[in-house]
Amino acid sequence: MSTAGTAVRFARELRDICGAGHVVEDAARLEGARIFGVIPALAVEPASSEEIAAILRFANEHGLNVVPTGGFTWQQTGSAPESVDVLLYTSRLAEVEHYDPGDLTVGVGAGCTVAQLASMVRRDGLLYAADPQLPERTTVGGLLATGVTGPLRHAYGGLRDYCIGIRFVTGDGRRGKGGGRVVKNVAGYDMMKLLIGSWGTLAIITGASFKLFPAPRQTKTFIAGFATSAEAISYRNLVLRSPLSPICLELVSPEAAAALSGSNAAGAWSLHVRATGSDAVLARYRSELGSAISQELEGTAEDERWRAVADFPHTVSQQHPDCLLVALWLALADVQPVLEDLQSVAAGNQLAVAAVGRVGVGHLLAALWPASPRAELVAAASALCERLPADSSMAVLRRPGDAARACVRRTPTDVDSMRAVKQALDPKDILNRGRFSL
Amino acid sequence: MSLPAVISDLRRIAGHDAVLDRPEDLMLYEYDGGVRKSTPGAVVFPQTAQHVSRIMRAASAARIPVVARGAGTGLSGGAISQAGGIVIAFSRMNRILEVDVENLRAVVQPGVVNLQLSEYVSHLGLYFAPDPSSQKACTIGGNVAENSGGPHTLLHGVTVNHVTGVEVVLPNGEIVHFGGKAAESAGYDLTGFFVGSEGTIGIATAITVRLLRKPEQVATLLGIFESVDDAARTVSAITSVGITPAALEMLDGWTLRTIEAFCHAGYPLDAGAVLLIEVEGLREAVEEQAIAVREVCLAQKARDVRRARNEEERALLWKGRKMAFAALGRVSPSYYTQDGVVPRSKIPAVLQHIGDVGRKYDLVIGNVFHAGDGNLHPLILFDMRDAGQFQRVLAASEDILQYCINVGGSITGEHGVGMEKRDMMPHLFSDEELDVMIGLRNVFNGNQILNPEKMLPVPRMCREISGPSRNAVLAQEGM
Repeated sequence: MSTAGTAVRFARELRDICGAGHVVEDAARLEGARIFGVIPALAVEPASSEEIAAILRFANEHGLNVVPTGGFTWQQTGSAPESVDVLLYTSRLAEVEHYDPGDLTVGVGAGCTVAQLASMVRRDGLLYAADPQLPERTTVGGLLATGVTGPLRHAYGGLRDYCIGIRFVTGDGRRGKGGGRVVKNVAGYDMMKLLIGSWGTLAIITGASFKLFPAPRQTKTFIAGFATSAEAISYRNLVLRSPLSPICLELVSPEAAAALSGSNAAGAWSLHVRATGSDAVLARYRSELGSAISQELEGTAEDERWRAVADFPHTVSQQHPDCLLVALWLALADVQPVLEDLQSVAAGNQLAVAAVGRVGVGHLLAALWPASPRAELVAAASALCERLPADSSMAVLRRPGDAARACVRRTPTDVDSMRAVKQALDPKDILNRGRFSL
Repeated sequence: MSLPAVISDLRRIAGHDAVLDRPEDLMLYEYDGGVRKSTPGAVVFPQTAQHVSRIMRAASAARIPVVARGAGTGLSGGAISQAGGIVIAFSRMNRILEVDVENLRAVVQPGVVNLQLSEYVSHLGLYFAPDPSSQKACTIGGNVAENSGGPHTLLHGVTVNHVTGVEVVLPNGEIVHFGGKAAESAGYDLTGFFVGSEGTIGIATAITVRLLRKPEQVATLLGIFESVDDAARTVSAITSVGITPAALEMLDGWTLRTIEAFCHAGYPLDAGAVLLIEVEGLREAVEEQAIAVREVCLAQKARDVRRARNEEERALLWKGRKMAFAALGRVSPSYYTQDGVVPRSKIPAVLQHIGDVGRKYDLVIGNVFHAGDGNLHPLILFDMRDAGQFQRVLAASEDILQYCINVGGSITGEHGVGMEKRDMMPHLFSDEELDVMIGLRNVFNGNQILNPEKMLPVPRMCREISGPSRNAVLAQEGM
């Protein structure tokens, strides 16, 4: 851990790199950016990839731990860092690098917020398909680093499917690039895939390019309610086997519905089916979806509902500050058994559980929080992880400060290969040291 | 260890009849769909991942380079061996291991032919979306190596968007898994990183792919234009009315006449260009989109827009497109296919430039390409026996690709860099950017046993290996 004295000495050198006004030493501001109680020694706001490369080379020389951040929305994750020597904001890398609506592509700096990007392209009738929580705060760099998106994942794919180029600085201070500005491109290694969801452990993302889509002109959301998750998943199967191709297919658990509406009364399980098309197309959805539909939403009410679903992680964390939030990726047939495990593990450990999920692609976000003083959050996370079927993935996205041992993760991917990749890009373990063990 | 000793090893591993080493047999493996040649020292046909693992260990120990090969349809030299190297051919690992209807996945061996998988699951109402023009012959292992595309990638994406897991044999012989049946996996997305790595970091021995449900309805339209300019402008006009076609292909007048003479697909002989446009989905949506597409074409001065009335007519229109390369083979002893990409708004300008290049180098260049995503396939005709002409072909290709780079595009959209565009990589990436990629390759393939001198530019490969190796033992042995 660096002492106040060394921090002051480093501040002088970092000021030479970023300019005097862009090294933050203000105690109150640093205090507000603490991660599990660890207050950053200082923060920097570089304006270019050259500056970031210089900062990282400097950090390599001095063995400093650098934590990159965008909107600071997913920092309550992983293990507590031993120290945060340099908190690195990407907010000044916010320029639009290229944009021609006719090309259906856009490139921006990592500090651009999702809301800025989405509203810019929306004016030209286009859709930026990532719909994470808190788009006003979430930056494009943070979005890519965490890989956490929202309900539109169902139809438009994940960031891995529409991020077409990425610019970054590796942990050891080299400026790298993958892809480019065109929608189809196989020149060189696919660096986009490697950095999406890498949680700032390999490189600092400085900019990215994306494929855009024509924005839906008319949408409607059909909601079906069910007494059990099993019934909801059976209905999902009917929708998946039908000719329908909704843009969202979202499961909302009773407790999640309560959290989203701010009420205490947990109602039913529901499946939200969002469709786009002409009146004739929407009429076809209504007839295919049948009598299970109990509610239809459109216009502002529909937009607000989807905003609320996308904001679920934030909302539930506000309401239950002691919650643990996990992301699960499952084969389609495993969704129902895992939902049952989730409920039984929660009940067995005196926890409440709320879940939403893109169940058409096997993705769930679940929040668990203590329902009694005897609750066992850590035991529940481990038990859930152990019960997962083969090929499943689980990652803890957020944990309360006192549940460090709940940082379990599971993946079918070879971990030695991951370690080797980390070693190739960040050999001195400068980025997010100690937070995400491989 | 010498090659003959390794060949006996290979026979012990894969079986006596599973190794070729006679010159007349090796000749068949000295080329791919591109224009370069190199004769391997041996070809081995493994039947299991264990075989591949043991072959890799034997080759690593003998320091003989290895390349994996599917059907050899690639156009960038990706499956061509080093002279005297070992080709691992996957024609005996061609089984569909599992079709998991509930999870919409199939697990296949790398030698499964692309179209065979779609045919195999067709009765279930499913298909595998990536559809390269060579899909009757090319293998899914090869598709994974090159991250192949095809006409329908406009809506559904390229191979990487359809692969969720791979079993991989690393150069040190270790068998590892990246991803699985779930759509994504926690940790680094090594599945996504592996797809398109052109056989330079490992060899896939089992691949888990997504299967899609066939759409309820498909409409296939042929827009007929007086000029390539009008057709090119139509491409952007279609998406500006909110439609993403499943496919949007363009053929210029010269190419469509050549195809028509070959297979009578029904293209009008006097057109300047045609667009082959397909929309798919829910019946109601498809009908509306077909009408909208027709209106857009007519507004962009299309002479006529025809719609396939049945499956036979649809198949015929597509046959013309997919036979384009074969048709050219009838009018020219050789042709060279390029794979540049430009932002879609630059299509009219790049076609103009290709016309200028043809005149400048005195070459006939046809254009058949994936217009919807700006992926060009200029086809340059030549006669390999005319060395001077071949040099002009290479110069013309480089000129076209440089233009693609200058307008913000790329040198390859779906065929890969391989050998042929390797030396253009520095036009697209800085030394430092290439250095990052080389470091990552060296993590898995530090000794360049696997597909050496592909994708990343050669002069850099003579440098000392930078970065750590995944396998400390191999590194210590200095192999």
